[in-house]
Amino acid sequence: MDSRLSNSSSSTHHSNSKKRKKNATANNTNQKTLGVAWGSKSLSASSCSSRKSPFSDFSSYMAHKNCKLQNQFDSEASASAARKPIFSGVSIFVDGFTVPSSQELRGYMLKYDGRFENYFSRHCVTHIICSNLPDSKVKNIRAFSAGLPVVKPTWILDSIAANRLLSWVPYQLEQVASNQPKLSAFFTLKSSKMSEDTFTNALCQVEPDVQDSFPRVGQLKERHPSEVGEMVEVCRQISNESNDISSKKTDVFMMEEPIGERVICDEEKLAEANSSETNNERNTEGELDPTYQEPSTSFSIPCSDNQNVHQFPSSEATGSSKQCHSTLTDPNFVENYFKNSRLHFIGTWRQRYRKRFPTLSTGLNNGISNSNKSDIKSVILHVDMDCFFVSVVIRNKPALFDKPVAVCHSNNSKGTSEISSANYPARSYGIRAGMFVRDAKALCPHLVTFPYNFEAYEEVADQFYSILHRHCNKVQAVSCDEAFLDFTDAMVEDPELLASSIRKEIYETTRCTASAGIGGNMLMARIATRTAKPNGQCYITPERVDDHLNQLPVDALPGIGYVLQEKLKKQSVNTCGQLRMISKNSLQKEYGMKTGEMLWNYSRGIDYRSVGIIQECKSIGADVNWGVRFRDMKDCEHFLINLCKEVSLRLQCCGVQGRTFTLKIKKRRKDADEPAKFMGCGDCENLSHSVTIPLATENVEILQRIVKQLLGCFYIDVKEIRGIGLHVSRLENADTSKQEKYTLKSWLTSGSASVEKQKYHMGHNKHNSDCANCASSHGCIHSQGSSFQIDNKILNIHVSGDPISTPPPLCQLDVEVIRNLPSEVFSELNEIYGGKLIDFIAKGKGKCESSSSLGNSLEDDATCKEEDLPYSDPIPLNQIFSENKAMQHERVLGSGHGSCSQVTHNSNIERDDLLPSSLSQIDASVLQQIPEDLKAVILEHLPAHRAQDFCSTPAICPGRINQDSVGVDTSKNCPGTVNHALNDSLWAGNLPSWMDKFKDSSCLRKLGEIYHRSGFNSQLSSVLPQFLSEFHHLDLTQEIYDETVNIMCELLKQYVKVKIERDIEEIYICFRLLKRFAVKSQFFSRVYNDIFPFLQAAVDDNYGGSLFMP
Amino acid sequence: MQRKENETPQGQAASVLVEFLEVAITAVVFLKGVYPSGFLLPSLDSPSSMPFLFFFFFFLLLLLLLLLLLLLLLLLFDVGKGAFERRRYMNVVVQRARHPQLRYYIHATVSGLLPFLQKGMVDRVAVVFFNTDNVPLEKFIFKLTVNQSYGSSVEGVDLQISLRSFLAKLSVSESLTKKLPPDCRWEITGNFQLLPETGTSKEANFWIPTDTKQWEQPLFITPIRSMSSDPLCLQFYIEHPSLSESSVL
Repeated sequence: MDSRLSNSSSSTHHSNSKKRKKNATANNTNQKTLGVAWGSKSLSASSCSSRKSPFSDFSSYMAHKNCKLQNQFDSEASASAARKPIFSGVSIFVDGFTVPSSQELRGYMLKYDGRFENYFSRHCVTHIICSNLPDSKVKNIRAFSAGLPVVKPTWILDSIAANRLLSWVPYQLEQVASNQPKLSAFFTLKSSKMSEDTFTNALCQVEPDVQDSFPRVGQLKERHPSEVGEMVEVCRQISNESNDISSKKTDVFMMEEPIGERVICDEEKLAEANSSETNNERNTEGELDPTYQEPSTSFSIPCSDNQNVHQFPSSEATGSSKQCHSTLTDPNFVENYFKNSRLHFIGTWRQRYRKRFPTLSTGLNNGISNSNKSDIKSVILHVDMDCFFVSVVIRNKPALFDKPVAVCHSNNSKGTSEISSANYPARSYGIRAGMFVRDAKALCPHLVTFPYNFEAYEEVADQFYSILHRHCNKVQAVSCDEAFLDFTDAMVEDPELLASSIRKEIYETTRCTASAGIGGNMLMARIATRTAKPNGQCYITPERVDDHLNQLPVDALPGIGYVLQEKLKKQSVNTCGQLRMISKNSLQKEYGMKTGEMLWNYSRGIDYRSVGIIQECKSIGADVNWGVRFRDMKDCEHFLINLCKEVSLRLQCCGVQGRTFTLKIKKRRKDADEPAKFMGCGDCENLSHSVTIPLATENVEILQRIVKQLLGCFYIDVKEIRGIGLHVSRLENADTSKQEKYTLKSWLTSGSASVEKQKYHMGHNKHNSDCANCASSHGCIHSQGSSFQIDNKILNIHVSGDPISTPPPLCQLDVEVIRNLPSEVFSELNEIYGGKLIDFIAKGKGKCESSSSLGNSLEDDATCKEEDLPYSDPIPLNQIFSENKAMQHERVLGSGHGSCSQVTHNSNIERDDLLPSSLSQIDASVLQQIPEDLKAVILEHLPAHRAQDFCSTPAICPGRINQDSVGVDTSKNCPGTVNHALNDSLWAGNLPSWMDKFKDSSCLRKLGEIYHRSGFNSQLSSVLPQFLSEFHHLDLTQEIYDETVNIMCELLKQYVKVKIERDIEEIYICFRLLKRFAVKSQFFSRVYNDIFPFLQAAVDDNYGGSLFMP
Repeated sequence: MQRKENETPQGQAASVLVEFLEVAITAVVFLKGVYPSGFLLPSLDSPSSMPFLFFFFFFLLLLLLLLLLLLLLLLLFDVGKGAFERRRYMNVVVQRARHPQLRYYIHATVSGLLPFLQKGMVDRVAVVFFNTDNVPLEKFIFKLTVNQSYGSSVEGVDLQISLRSFLAKLSVSESLTKKLPPDCRWEITGNFQLLPETGTSKEANFWIPTDTKQWEQPLFITPIRSMSSDPLCLQFYIEHPSLSESSVL
């Protein structure tokens, strides 16, 4: 006992060491845990009860701790609301360092009903999670894991993403996988695993079926709908089966619960899908029809597009959009709501605008930098349509031009609908936007009201912008009817003339009038427009700015709203002239830094903004706070499902995915009456809850699940809800992940075809050139991806390691390969390249002949390898494939690489038009995956001076920038001509040119060799020790020439130059090594003494001090 | 449409960097032991048990038991009385200041640098330790370069792994530093590559003229860690006054 105590008392604060010592002591006490002893659960059970002498010895302490930890976990788990029992029955132990961290994993386990063990024990842990293992544990895997599965943390993440427990088998740690069941056994083994995972035999049968038919469904374009379809199908089966199963529940252990729940939560989806099918004359009774369970029919669901799913064949939905104004009566409420919303129109308009004028709106971003510095008087034009929403509606009704007209939702004269826009005749009656219709009618009984006409708005807005873009290349769209144009660079003689011509053109095309303001900056242009309205134009020259502003009421300035205006009024500031009297400091004190500065600037007509800045959206969402009334939870959930669809569509529109989801709810205040506005939200409390998930998504299903959870957090009576909004933030670009999906998909769908393509690529490496490199490694990745896909069966697996997310540039493609592709593959590729492929082929016919002649000088070795590639027929994507998978994979990679290297060797001429970055990126990743021996073979076959081209990883090459320089290239290619005139480019290029020079000086050649052998590492510090030790005995035998010392010094000097700025640590390590060896070797002491002053000078230059050499 | 990112890569890198700097600076302060750090050491060294030499053996046992209890407390409830508490950041154990003022100072200073980091204006961030005469004894310097021309997106994981290595290295580099005399003072300073434009009104107010004599002494540099992972290049080293200087002190 004493020894143990002293052990623990001497343990440091470091938690790890503490634990380890604990473990050691635990071993001493002969705890009965299997394998390496962590604190054990078995003991905890026994000694929890006998706690009378709390920490009498270590095991009781551990037991107590385990107890406590468990209680802690339980209480936390019960505290976390709305949990989804994905991991029920799973208990993980996290070993070592993982990404995400063990704490995050614990959080997930808490949330999804799993367990998290802090200490390993055979009895309560079911899975060990770790990212890598030390060798000792791998060797003695059974002792370490006690036979439990050792799984990578992505298993958990993917399971959460898929919302069900995935099979852990594909996620096994690679190091361990060889000891675990072989892949060949995987498919036979899997069925039992599956049953363990999901519990219905039916599911197991269906899944392979679905899998088989998956690639055959040629027209599958979207991944999501198909998954939805499958899920629905699967769930349906479960619901059928679960009735049968319920009798033999005893067999079904803990996983039963989640399925039950999933069936419930998918039921609605099911209903929906069914109802969509009724359109196709498929009855809901089909649910019970056994033939219906065949996957072929189930795919009809994804084929019906989103709109179909939206449509409900129920009687009240048909043509009821006019009458149904609340969520109570209209099942398509959300859709109709946004269809009829003006704000929604304006909000989504920008998106449409960007799609329509993509080049224009991005192009002007580049111009911004130029515009600021110019001394030239800038000319900004602000164009605004006159009462857009009205004038568009009445543009074809000239009779109404001088009548008071307003746009609003209802034309009921007693209605509480708000006027959204009124024309000038109507405004003269005092009608303003935001008024209720009944008030407006009271002011002007003959007011004509119109509903919105969104198609017309769209059309006119597009016309409007195409006119603007024709006149100016710097257009900033403010809204659908308002824009700024920057004519500074265009050198316009008479801006007034230009403005009137633009206005005229707008009027002629759209029959709507526009007003224009011209000023020296955006502020002045906008103010000018205000005076110009309606249907006029105004030019405020810089000289007239002061006059104009002097009398301007403050609320005319943009950014000054009601609140600010009232505040200013209190200071008796009504016009800009009065505002100018106040000093900047007191303004800033009064209204805050930003607002103060803004006021000061604006009152003087100063505006630094430049035209063309587009703000990226930070969040995407949809709010509905009109007409929201729910009877019960079901209504509410149904509403949320539709809201999710809307939001998901918007996300897809913008091409983004989000991670944080916020649900906002407007809850009626307790004492609030029914609002004055019909179906309005009235007086409400605003509540919100949000959640962040690990993987960004846009998927409707996931969205719905999250929203349902969030709703649960509110604990709210649905009858009190007056408005709901769903917002998605932390947006990520969906493009990259989409692309991955796309390539995977295309590979799967055109199953055999793309294998042919791959074979083809392999074969064609012989004949040529650059593209084949990319193509073949593309192929490799395809095959990798697909096998993953198969392993994991259906659900979301993102092959995250895929280094290629974009297709190679067109110039890298090989014409011949492309030309010989099967037609469907070609058309797909053509789509990726936006149709440019066809032209490319036409152009490249001549070129391919020359390139094919080059490759004939290939060495036999490479050819052999390529022929050695019996890519087995992939259509029975099952056992054979999986058995061979690992091996083939390597071989594909290997041969792919072997041929690439040869190719580049033989086609130096073509290298010129090759983008070096893509080549090196691809090769580095390929190389890293090749087993050591294969790598060595490849390197041997490489000519030495090319080796680095393939080996280097871009991040660590010194002087990478120079790699294209012709000088380096030529000097490499003709090493005979290199003399000893040392220039500054020793470390330039991917392969440092000193390697060549050292060839001549016998003793330093060694360094070159070692450097080369170490392969891919360009850090000198890692090579140096080895060299130094080998040099040690060279030193004794060989005489030291001055020249050798000089070369070595030069080498080090240039290394210092390259590294000093970005990596002083590396320099430090190198020189400490040198110093150490200077003691032993005369050569190095000379080198060290020569180089040291230089080093110190360099450090002094860069860091203002000298390196401290202990 | 193609480039739809919430932030520029520089911006992303800068915000990661700010977070990291906050942790790293706390780690430096912890490492130098300016504030009392652990709770075991002071309670162990307390001389109160010395008068009871009589019952030496008895007390030894009692002390050991007490120790064990304290240890358990520490383990179970993370009880400690030092100025720092253990936290996890980027999956490594780091220290966090307990005192809100200390925490705020570090946080506010570093996050104040954020806009400048984004623009790549900050040359180095230093944690300077002074003795009672306001002579700097040791400076821990983070020299930064944010590559402004870097275009593609930042690999968060890569950056994390690189930055984590700093924290790991820092925690074991105590031997590289010198022991500080008692009653030290420390501060965080940021050096800019050039003076910011005076036009932007509010920022100009933050500027404090430096005590130039701090920078006149010849220095010795001990590099601790360097990384270069686009768009961020970060070097961490210690500056000491030269040996002659220290012998004078």
